[in-house]
Amino acid sequence: MTDRARLTRRDLIKLSACGAFGSSMSRWLPALANEASKSPDRRRSVILLWMTGGPPQTDTFDMKPGHENGGQFKPIDTSVPGIQICEHLPQVAKLMQYSAPIRSMSTKEGDHTRATYLLRTGNLPQGPIDYPTLGSLFSKELGQENSDLPNFVAVAPYTQFSPAAYGPGFLGPKFAPLVVGDANRVVANGLGMNYDQSLAVKNLSLPQGINVERADARLSLLGDLESDFSSQRPGLNSESHQSAYAAAVRMMRSEAVKAFNLDDEDAKLRDAYGRNQFGQACLLARRLVERGVPFVEVSLNGVGNNQTFAWDTHAQNFTSVKSLLGVLDPAWATLMTDLKDRGLLDSTMIVWMGEFGRTPKINPQMGRDHFPNAWSSVLCGGGIKGGQVVGKTSEDGMKVDDRPVSVQDLFATMCKGLGLDSMKQNVSNVGRPIRLADPTAKPITEIVG
Amino acid sequence: MTQTARLRPFVTKGSRFNVRFPGTSLLSWACLISLMLILVGEVMGDEVQNLADLIDRRIEARWKSDGVTPAPRAGDAEYLRRVSLHISGSIPPVADARQFLRDESLDQRRRLVDQLLESPHYITNFSNFWTRVMMPESATDLQGQAQRPGFQAWLRQHLGNNTHYDTMVYELMTTPLAGDRSMNAALQNTGTVSPIAFFTTKQIKPENLAAATSRMFLGIRIECAQCHNHPYDSWKQEQFWGYAAFFAGIERTSRNEDVIGQVKEVFDRRELTIPDHETVVQATYLDGTQPQWRSRVTSRKTLADWMTAKQNPYFAKAVVNRLWGHFFGVGIVDPIDDFGGSNKPSHPELLDELAADFVAHDFDLKYLIRGITASHTYQLSSRKTHDSQNEPQQFARMAVQGLTGEQLFDSIAVAVGHLESFQQQQPFQLNQTGARGEFLELFAPDNNSPTERQTSILQALALMNGQFTSAATSLDQSSTLTAVAEFPWMKTPDRINALYLAALTRKPRPEELERLTKYVDSGGPAKNQKQALADVFWALLNSSEFLFNH
Repeated sequence: MTDRARLTRRDLIKLSACGAFGSSMSRWLPALANEASKSPDRRRSVILLWMTGGPPQTDTFDMKPGHENGGQFKPIDTSVPGIQICEHLPQVAKLMQYSAPIRSMSTKEGDHTRATYLLRTGNLPQGPIDYPTLGSLFSKELGQENSDLPNFVAVAPYTQFSPAAYGPGFLGPKFAPLVVGDANRVVANGLGMNYDQSLAVKNLSLPQGINVERADARLSLLGDLESDFSSQRPGLNSESHQSAYAAAVRMMRSEAVKAFNLDDEDAKLRDAYGRNQFGQACLLARRLVERGVPFVEVSLNGVGNNQTFAWDTHAQNFTSVKSLLGVLDPAWATLMTDLKDRGLLDSTMIVWMGEFGRTPKINPQMGRDHFPNAWSSVLCGGGIKGGQVVGKTSEDGMKVDDRPVSVQDLFATMCKGLGLDSMKQNVSNVGRPIRLADPTAKPITEIVG
Repeated sequence: MTQTARLRPFVTKGSRFNVRFPGTSLLSWACLISLMLILVGEVMGDEVQNLADLIDRRIEARWKSDGVTPAPRAGDAEYLRRVSLHISGSIPPVADARQFLRDESLDQRRRLVDQLLESPHYITNFSNFWTRVMMPESATDLQGQAQRPGFQAWLRQHLGNNTHYDTMVYELMTTPLAGDRSMNAALQNTGTVSPIAFFTTKQIKPENLAAATSRMFLGIRIECAQCHNHPYDSWKQEQFWGYAAFFAGIERTSRNEDVIGQVKEVFDRRELTIPDHETVVQATYLDGTQPQWRSRVTSRKTLADWMTAKQNPYFAKAVVNRLWGHFFGVGIVDPIDDFGGSNKPSHPELLDELAADFVAHDFDLKYLIRGITASHTYQLSSRKTHDSQNEPQQFARMAVQGLTGEQLFDSIAVAVGHLESFQQQQPFQLNQTGARGEFLELFAPDNNSPTERQTSILQALALMNGQFTSAATSLDQSSTLTAVAEFPWMKTPDRINALYLAALTRKPRPEELERLTKYVDSGGPAKNQKQALADVFWALLNSSEFLFNH
């Protein structure tokens, strides 16, 4: 394995002989999905549905009918008797047997920047330790070296609140996400509607005017320089440089990269996901998971051209949330049924959350403000015993009455559901070993394993 | 040239003396004074050399006792590229490289360092360096980014004046916080020249300020003791909060957690209660000594006095080690800001002597840089010539070091003749847009040691296929490439030579030259010599040799 990570000049030349790739890969690709689901040692995948800005629990999974904090939306029955959720999630409601809403998230951090870091890394920003984002943390455990596609793909992250909460931290760039559909730039360029363009991998194709033959010649020249340099000045830097280049070339030339060609999908299925950035990104997530990518995150930053942090509904909460749910419901539900149809739901855990919830009390602008004390997240699919609700909040939604769940508890639960040992340690940038989840964390055992 | 410029004021003075001392000609006065200047220069120069010798003595003694064979001295080209990246933040332009490589005088390396230290690039590069040290938040959070310009402007001012390090830190530590003027001005006008962002990015909370200042300025990571006694170190929770108590006088006047605009400072508050505990702790220095309190002097100021004092046991060592780490890639104590009990210095005597010498020279950062870069240890090649050079803390060969995003972008800009570079460094630009902004985002350095820098796939894709590299290697858009390819009287080997000099600051080795001449003459797959030259330039810009400092 390490031999393969270290790239010699010969390897670069071999890589550049693209013919070898073309034929050998096309043979096994059609059987890909089936094999992926059957293989006994297939590890689990995760799709994180990240709700930028903090979604209101009282208008989604923890309805408070009859109370003044309940707001304008009505609860509806779901496929599981006794569990009710918001009327604007009708399709998700029909799949409740696969889902476990956690109504008792309790986290103590109400600032976007710090809460984003907390929920995405499991820790508050703490001095010099650069904690990795959960995608880097889990994909490191679930992924395989030298795969055609990167082990962690992030679709349209809106990173402005806390860029560090989206990075690989002390695990290093090797575990950084492949980012497609940069929401930060989408906002700047008004590309919100132009989702196809925004879901492509940047710089994946050769520069204009450079054909494969030229590219091969260039890589071969580079190979000479690299072999000279690393024989004279051996070290981690040039090794990492070479293995990143090898992975990039491998991806550029792999069949698997076709995962990004959404046009290959049936138009009806694309419609079902929703013809918007989030819907199509969920479809992309399925295509990536199908090709073995162990961690994909998809952000719901907004609707239409407002792709920032639309869940941050300090004013006119109900209008905004209704349109957000209109995007979320079909995309999420279609993702689950699509995965189910392909036999992949059992091995794919879906995590729905934001950085905090929103105040049960409705403010004078008909908005809801930041609320970390008692809010909801949802785990579904692979490794999760769905059809049950975790925890309970008070009648007014102001506090957790039963089974408070901390960030670390949530991380430990994910570990358990994914079959990972939460006591596994990584060495941090300060030399101190850090576990996947804190030893004091209590996984929610009733919904996993 | 500098010599005459320096003499000019003396010459005028001399003419006045001329009246009082008839018989002494203007010329002889000038000669005498210039001789004196040279002598002074010699004395000063000796001090830099003494510092360099001090370094080499300790490092070499260790090689001897541990049986280490060091790498040979780096050639001029290797030294030029390395020291330019370290001091001015980019590779040298071709013209400078040619001039330096022609210069055969004995003190050429020392003069080069002097020039680099006087260039505006030193200010830019080190304001980025200190921003990363003091405001790591400016890379990660929105508020930090917004306040970066004012903070950097403050740094640039001090670096431009070569304000000594103790003065700079003292000013930072004691910067006024209370009152509308300071805090609001800094928050509302992000261009205000002020270090106040240091405090706001730490949410002006005593515990955050304690953690940050002890780590950055004293090399002590005491923050782990915030919640419990430190498991590996001797720091106790009470010591942490005792140190934090120096910041207890800062009080927010707004109840809203999110608003940090209004602050007042209680002068004589010298204690705080450990959160979730009953214990009240008194402000106590980290070395256990009790402060001498004075009336109407804030606790913060009292702390700054102790911290930046010449006899402070941590302050000078911490910064000397930090700069050592910048130049060698690895600290004498490594990680560089962790002087913990279990993390011993590789050369304790050297660290002590360096710190003492730095203090004796009034915390002059440029003096320290001159000394380090003049040492034989720093001038070693990065080529591995013996297995005993594997241990990084033997400093037996120069470590291969990762570049920051800024260094990388600016180096590419220099190599390809991209003129936008310097303008884009304007610190007052809040959102760094354009090619540079995108680049910095993508290549934001991880906090791993520079000797263990990793490359991501997206970085590789950007360098291989990205717009910027494409333009740099396009015959229509790249100044360097176009000049080299179009210049009529050059032969292929000359063209390859020129590209090597532009990108790698060296000439190709004979076997490289032969191989590449063949490639270019054949025209490559494009059957076009100019396109083939573009291929060579592409390979150079994508190589480890270009992308790292070594």
